Amino acid sequence: MGETRCASRFVVGRICAAPLAALLVLSIALQGGPARADTPRQRTIKARYLYKFAPFVQWPASAFESPTSPLAICIAGQDPLGPALDEAGRSQPVNGRAVVVRHVDAVHPGMGCHILFTGSDPTTEESLRAIAHEPVLTVTDSSTGGSGGIINFVTMAGRVRFTIDKNAAQERGITISSKLLGRAVNVAR
Amino acid sequence: MSPHPLFGRLMTVLARTPAVGIGIAALLLVASLALGYHNEGQTRADRIRDVEVQARVLAASLAGPLAFDDAVATSEYIDALKASPDFDAAGAYDAKGRLVAGFARAGEPLPQINRVVPPKVRGTEIIVTATVEQGGTKLGSVYLGTATESWSRRAGRYLGIAIVLVMACLLVAVLGAFYASVSAANRRLQAEIAGRKGIEEALRQAQKMEAMGQLTGGVAHDFNNLLMVASSGMELLDRTTDPVRRDRLKDGIRQAIERGAKLTQQLLTFARRSPLSPEVVDVGERIRGLQDLLERSLREDIHVELDFAEDLWPIEVDPSQLDVAVLNIAINARDAMPNGGTICISAHNYPAGRETPHDMVRLSIRDTGSGIEPELLEKVFEPFFTTKGVGTGTGLGLSQVYGFVQSSGGEVRIESAPDKGTTVFVLFPRSSQPRPRGRGANGSFSRAEHDATVLVAEDDEHVATLVCEMLRELGYKSRRGATATEILRMLEESGPFDLVLSDMIMPGKMNGLELAQEIVRREPGLPVVLMTGYSDAAVSVRTKGFPLLVKPYTIESLGQVLYHALRSTHRHAQSGSL
Repeated sequence: MGETRCASRFVVGRICAAPLAALLVLSIALQGGPARADTPRQRTIKARYLYKFAPFVQWPASAFESPTSPLAICIAGQDPLGPALDEAGRSQPVNGRAVVVRHVDAVHPGMGCHILFTGSDPTTEESLRAIAHEPVLTVTDSSTGGSGGIINFVTMAGRVRFTIDKNAAQERGITISSKLLGRAVNVAR
Repeated sequence: MSPHPLFGRLMTVLARTPAVGIGIAALLLVASLALGYHNEGQTRADRIRDVEVQARVLAASLAGPLAFDDAVATSEYIDALKASPDFDAAGAYDAKGRLVAGFARAGEPLPQINRVVPPKVRGTEIIVTATVEQGGTKLGSVYLGTATESWSRRAGRYLGIAIVLVMACLLVAVLGAFYASVSAANRRLQAEIAGRKGIEEALRQAQKMEAMGQLTGGVAHDFNNLLMVASSGMELLDRTTDPVRRDRLKDGIRQAIERGAKLTQQLLTFARRSPLSPEVVDVGERIRGLQDLLERSLREDIHVELDFAEDLWPIEVDPSQLDVAVLNIAINARDAMPNGGTICISAHNYPAGRETPHDMVRLSIRDTGSGIEPELLEKVFEPFFTTKGVGTGTGLGLSQVYGFVQSSGGEVRIESAPDKGTTVFVLFPRSSQPRPRGRGANGSFSRAEHDATVLVAEDDEHVATLVCEMLRELGYKSRRGATATEILRMLEESGPFDLVLSDMIMPGKMNGLELAQEIVRREPGLPVVLMTGYSDAAVSVRTKGFPLLVKPYTIESLGQVLYHALRSTHRHAQSGSL
């Protein structure tokens, strides 16, 4: 089942050749998601991925105070990744910007985040709505019951994968590279 | 088609020194090697650039798979390169430089840790590495190893050039060798030609000397006889007072001198130095007069037939040369008929038409002899060509005919076939002068009443004295000068003179002809008469329009020429004054 991958990975920008199959897989994954807890390895991978999304994403210039101001990755609520994030945190600069990690308690507009990961936060939906029009790449994790982020982590056959909501990204003025879209198991357009 | 002069010179140099040829071949070789080396470098640089581009394309494709740990996708990208035999090795490495996927076909295995370095060539392999990055973030690297062009392919690429090169070297060598052999052969041939020319010249000289010896012997004998007659006649003249006997003696002396003059004329004719003295003649009449001589020169078993048209046009030729020419042709005809036969000499008018642009008189001399081989036919007019045995012919007969006819403005043709006889056609142009009148109408010049003064230019004391005597006898007054300068001075200072009589050959810068032209330039009305023994210039004198007296001349011909010269000038002067 884990081998069911979308052909569009290889041909960037194409519509997935087997969207129905992917949806089926996704629904199974989502159903089974909250029941299982992440292994430490999966947590490490997710933490690394949070960093790695940054080079493939373009934010509007208005999202930054200046051309050299850092790129902020914010973790909202309870931190499910824990020290894994800090381990991965010795990241290289992205597009010339330093990368900083912030833990935030409350989500509100103008908080200065570029990537927002909502962990096992029961108020996920609420907090996402609060910044619905901000140029923030929201990342949710289905294994902790999260959904609705532009990127949503899923676990398939023990591997960490993700889905991308391209339309939501576009609404927020965020451009996602086709190379990243190609990695996603499902792209909502 | 002649080769380019530069090529010819190059070939000569090649032929002379083989080292130059080897040098050129070596130069070609070095040049093409250099070209090949340069070409090789260029090809390798192109190849490296190509591989770099491929590495960058691969790196861009691998950004996603490497970033998100998709080893399967990475392998697929790498494996796609296996399809091309050009790639010996390919590898994808993560951000820490660890191998994710790759293959190595032969040779060195893939490095486990990759470091991005500039392209390098290791043995026959080009190694190119490239960073996989996205948004300025290093995500991994790729490693590509491709074979430089294989030997077989490279050989294929250079084979054409090599063949052309080898052929060019061969061509240089072959051309050089060929030219060398040709020029060596040419040199041998030239040496041979030079040698033969020398021998021919010597032979010709020997023949000439032999002829001269015979001739001078005979001439000396004849001349001694004539001198004997003259000197003994003179002695006897002094010792007798009987007028009848004196007259007989004087006649004898005069005849001896006339025969001597004729003899020298014949010698000059033989030497072909005698000036042509063309006269208007009737060919028929002239040859009829020659019949006795002809029959005496030929043998008894040769019959001569003459056939001349009634109204033959007159022609203008030297009569004595005409005689000699007819005689020469007839003697050849006789020698072609050892068992006897007939010589038919005929003459007809030959009006202008397709073959000739002018009216001509055609004289044909036909024999019934053995004929001439076709391959010899074109040689018969060459000097010294003869088919007769040594000592019987000089080979000058027909060449005299040819020279005479050419200088008379005519042409000569010969038709012959073996055993069918030979016919020689001689064509003379028709003369516009009237027919010659009978002889004896011009004998009244012995003593006329002239009161003219003649200026004589003659450097020989004895001749000058005699000429002045003859002039006095003809009733002219005379003065004499020895050089052209003197004559011109006398014309200015001691004039006026009515006529200048000048020798052709004069001491000093100016010869007789030039003096005459100078006189005419200064005094256009003054007639000038030239006299000469023989000279090449004599022919040109006639074309320049001066009357010419050929030495020795009689007092009568002197009187006649002077009379005409003075009278024509007088007439010109009269018409000019009107």
